[in-house]
Amino acid sequence: MQTKLPEFGRLAEPTLLILVSLSDGPKHGYAMMQDIEAGTGRPMGAGTLYAALARLEERGLIEPLPPVDRRRPYQLTAVGATNLAEQLRGLSEFAQMGLRQLGDSQP
Amino acid sequence: MNLNRALVRLYPTSWRARYGEEFTALLEERPVGPFDVADIVLGAMDARLRLRNLHAAREPGGISMSLRIGGMAAIAGAALLALAALVSMGLAETSEAVPGILFVTGLALLLVALAGMSAFQARAHPRLAWVAFAVPAVGTLVSVLGLVGMSIVGEWAWTVWFFGTLTALVGSALFAVVTYRTAALSRGAALLLGVGSVLPFAGLVVPDSTIVLPPAIACFLVGWFLLGVHAIRLDRPATVARPV
Repeated sequence: MQTKLPEFGRLAEPTLLILVSLSDGPKHGYAMMQDIEAGTGRPMGAGTLYAALARLEERGLIEPLPPVDRRRPYQLTAVGATNLAEQLRGLSEFAQMGLRQLGDSQP
Repeated sequence: MNLNRALVRLYPTSWRARYGEEFTALLEERPVGPFDVADIVLGAMDARLRLRNLHAAREPGGISMSLRIGGMAAIAGAALLALAALVSMGLAETSEAVPGILFVTGLALLLVALAGMSAFQARAHPRLAWVAFAVPAVGTLVSVLGLVGMSIVGEWAWTVWFFGTLTALVGSALFAVVTYRTAALSRGAALLLGVGSVLPFAGLVVPDSTIVLPPAIACFLVGWFLLGVHAIRLDRPATVARPV
């Protein structure tokens, strides 16, 4: 199963940010919001977070764990980790190509 | 908290059955401001649309509140208010209703801007952020009633419009204060907005208000415009490098 970013439409970026946030271990919603805000300097609202979480869970990229004090942590699935690695590799290759081209055009 | 419960109830029943408990717990973890409410309202709309389109080939792509929407609304609102001011000064020939429509649309856009750009401020000063949103919301409503009233009962309703507009200014001043205090967006722009929101009140007491009003309007509009630009710049996609 392979899920490309465009399938998430306008939630493509929030879903990517959530996958990155979960890449170092399970987190509940509030921890993800804090993590994403610290990393990007931008707020992510609870409505956006759960719209993205629902889509990721439906596609099997993340899975819920048993709740702790009403807060439910989520973790990456194996498919989610593979998907995230693919996306990040793609972004990295794109960035390297851009840097190469920039380097070539510089005097 | 009642507001949190009311927000969760906006979502469809099946969504609440799955996510309701943890979503409520999340909302209880930090103060909910105008930004969060707008984002949750859009999230609930998205959940309802998805449910309706569950078997469709394409599901809705998602709708959410962001600094970018707030920033764009601030720029558009400031531009429309500037246009309304120019038209009402007779610099462009239009029908009598045009300045009023531009003015009201501009104020409504500033409300969207207030919600979209208040996320960080609401964490540090939730009450002030809410007052900064609620006061101009009431002011805009009163201003609209005044404008509609002027076309029905005549000049008598001008007072209603005038007080509605002053209330909207008070709200902008409060937003400027809370933004300056939290340094969430450009402090210089917040300062300009604050000056532009307070100066018109000096126009009520000085003998010649024409000395005060033009710079006040300029500061007010430029303040909103710059806050909008700063919000959009902050809301760069994560895949685009941030300025160093």
